[in-house]
Amino acid sequence: MKKTGRSKFISLSRIFVTGMGSISAIGSSVTENRMALLQGKCGIGSLELFPTKYASLLPFGEIKITNTFLQEKLQAYQPGLTRTTLLALHAFEEAITDAQLPPEHLKSFDTALINASTVGGMCLTDELYNDANKTENGSAYLSSYDCASVNMYLQKRYAIKGIINTINTACSSSANAILYGARLIKNGLAERAIVGGVDSLAKFTINGFNSLHILSPDKCAPFDEQRKGLNLGEAAAFLVLEKEEAVAGKKVYAELTGYCNTNDAFHASSLSEEGEGPYLSMKGALETAGILPAAISFINAHGTGTENNDLAESRAMLRLFENVPAFASTKSNTGHTLGAAGAIEAVYSILNLVHQEVYAALNFKQPIEATRLQPIQSYTKMPLKHVMSNSFGFGGNCASLIFSI
Amino acid sequence: MFYIHQTSCISPQQTFAAVEIDRLHDAVNNKLQVIEPSYEGIPSGVLRRMGKAIRIGVGTALPLIRSTDKSIDGIIIGTANGGMEDCIKFLNQIIDYDEGLLTPTNFVQSTTNAVAAQIGLLSANKAYNTTHVHRGLAFENALLDVMMLLKEHEMANYLVGGVDEISAYNYNIEFLDGWYKKEPIAAKNLYASNTVASMAGEGAAMFFVNNDKKNATAKLTGIHILHTDDERMMADQLQLFLDKYLPAGEKIDLLLSGENGDNRLPGFYNTCEAVLNKQVAVARFKHMMGEYPTASAAALWLACYIFSGQLVPEHMMKYNSPLSLSFYNRILIYNTYKGQQHSFILVERA
Repeated sequence: MKKTGRSKFISLSRIFVTGMGSISAIGSSVTENRMALLQGKCGIGSLELFPTKYASLLPFGEIKITNTFLQEKLQAYQPGLTRTTLLALHAFEEAITDAQLPPEHLKSFDTALINASTVGGMCLTDELYNDANKTENGSAYLSSYDCASVNMYLQKRYAIKGIINTINTACSSSANAILYGARLIKNGLAERAIVGGVDSLAKFTINGFNSLHILSPDKCAPFDEQRKGLNLGEAAAFLVLEKEEAVAGKKVYAELTGYCNTNDAFHASSLSEEGEGPYLSMKGALETAGILPAAISFINAHGTGTENNDLAESRAMLRLFENVPAFASTKSNTGHTLGAAGAIEAVYSILNLVHQEVYAALNFKQPIEATRLQPIQSYTKMPLKHVMSNSFGFGGNCASLIFSI
Repeated sequence: MFYIHQTSCISPQQTFAAVEIDRLHDAVNNKLQVIEPSYEGIPSGVLRRMGKAIRIGVGTALPLIRSTDKSIDGIIIGTANGGMEDCIKFLNQIIDYDEGLLTPTNFVQSTTNAVAAQIGLLSANKAYNTTHVHRGLAFENALLDVMMLLKEHEMANYLVGGVDEISAYNYNIEFLDGWYKKEPIAAKNLYASNTVASMAGEGAAMFFVNNDKKNATAKLTGIHILHTDDERMMADQLQLFLDKYLPAGEKIDLLLSGENGDNRLPGFYNTCEAVLNKQVAVARFKHMMGEYPTASAAALWLACYIFSGQLVPEHMMKYNSPLSLSFYNRILIYNTYKGQQHSFILVERA
């Protein structure tokens, strides 16, 4: 890779995770998510709440909680709030409570809020259809369709005054939100950053992925030779990032030591066979962390269960690691949560480190012929120091994060 | 702080190739739509499959990438709506065919990261690639991102830009929400209109940036973003920004103002002028570029154009310089999107 002249001061600010919040098909808190992972619980199944023609045909990682319930629990009754925003609010509140962020920190000019979403308010297909095509009687959601609508709501509700941003790089969105927040702190543009991602089920993505023939009719089987595709899921997760100087006396989960964003530059909706983008992002993350491949204890793989991703990711791992570390994908528990994937899998990677444990990959029966790699297949306590989390998306947008303790 | 070298802009005015902006091209049906070039160097088969946002994004980015032999170490794009037209086309298919088997092209092209992805794909660039989508501050976040990248990688070069398109559907949504004027309006009458709402615009503006002062067009000295509906907070933050970035005793020469003819918003622009003690020349750009979330990218292009030795067209001037300046060294771009998101960008002659 070309030498671009690294600035020395960047390495001085260490970034720590002091709070986490998450909601997914396997639980509506970090603790619930962990319990489910421990037990090898699968949150993928038939849709009960979401109306689509595919409800009985395909499995999804649906959160079995209604919007009405969320509105009541979160005291969020304003018109125009989408499910995406409600899920985000839920995870955001858990994270800031967990980090014990005092109100004056939340409202200060140096607290950044970085979110990610691929769907935003477009989960409301029928309303969007009407608002886009009819010239009168606009719905309450006119300003809620874009990806930014989630953070615009959080900003107003919590009077957040620092740098606020929304990122959309498809499936790697919230991994990029995490690394953007970390860099804001390292560059002195924020003292702390609340970073995360969210997506709710939407006809838009269901039909989009279906038109690409990558939705599996069965529960997904990441890295399995017979894998048939991915299952879509919904989730939200937020993390609170703070710098070393600020965490004395605070509970600290793990350190964000490495991160990298690269582009596969091969095709708009699939990865190169040799997984060039994934290889470069994993390698780049190791470089920012200043560690060798052999130091990685475990990889939370992107592992969507598609033919393309799992092969490309496997090839990239084989190329980068002399001995591929223990790895697994949690998408067989939650489904592919798109904009939330990077963030919720960061939470899971941190849980690996905090509890020195890894969770079973579900639905795996036989390795991919061409690579013979096998994920972890049962819950295991093991020493872990550095965990890598991968997120690779449409448009070749690849991102890898490394958390360490 | 970083330096801007080559720039490129496709807009409702003649800003591409042979730039000529003294002549004001008017809106049609209240929309300022881009003047598209012939897109030399992009295969027509590839162009045909692209929605407008991707076309103009790629159409401004690729010539810049080709104009330099320096390698591009990252592509950073700000876009609030990405390929909205393709998005709604796909959505219409979902409804019209009741979720039957659909063609994926519209879906894949519609994702907001498609512009940056296509630029990366067409230039075979495997480096950092990201898309910021935070509505009226999508482009500003792209600038913050590249500012950080240039501190982290001193010798690197980046492509940064902002893009948004008017799609029939997005126009409809914004119109229903009361952000585009209901009465017909000519571009030159935008600021005198005294009615609510503004006029839809679209465009793509791209910038080749690095830390190298030599032969640079402009220096981006500082940027600040803010969410508020409180004019006083905006004024305080602007004063802090000026205190931070203006050398002692120095002043802004020109305010490039995002005033947009919406009579709900002049408070912010008046406040901005007041903070500058009304001692600046003021020029406006939305009668030329229209109102859209990443219009500030077009404003930055205009600032660079001015620094490359050009005079500011008469139709842009609100107040001439009290010091009778016609060449400016220090431009402040102030923009608010819907009175909720605000940005200050200080750009200086390099």
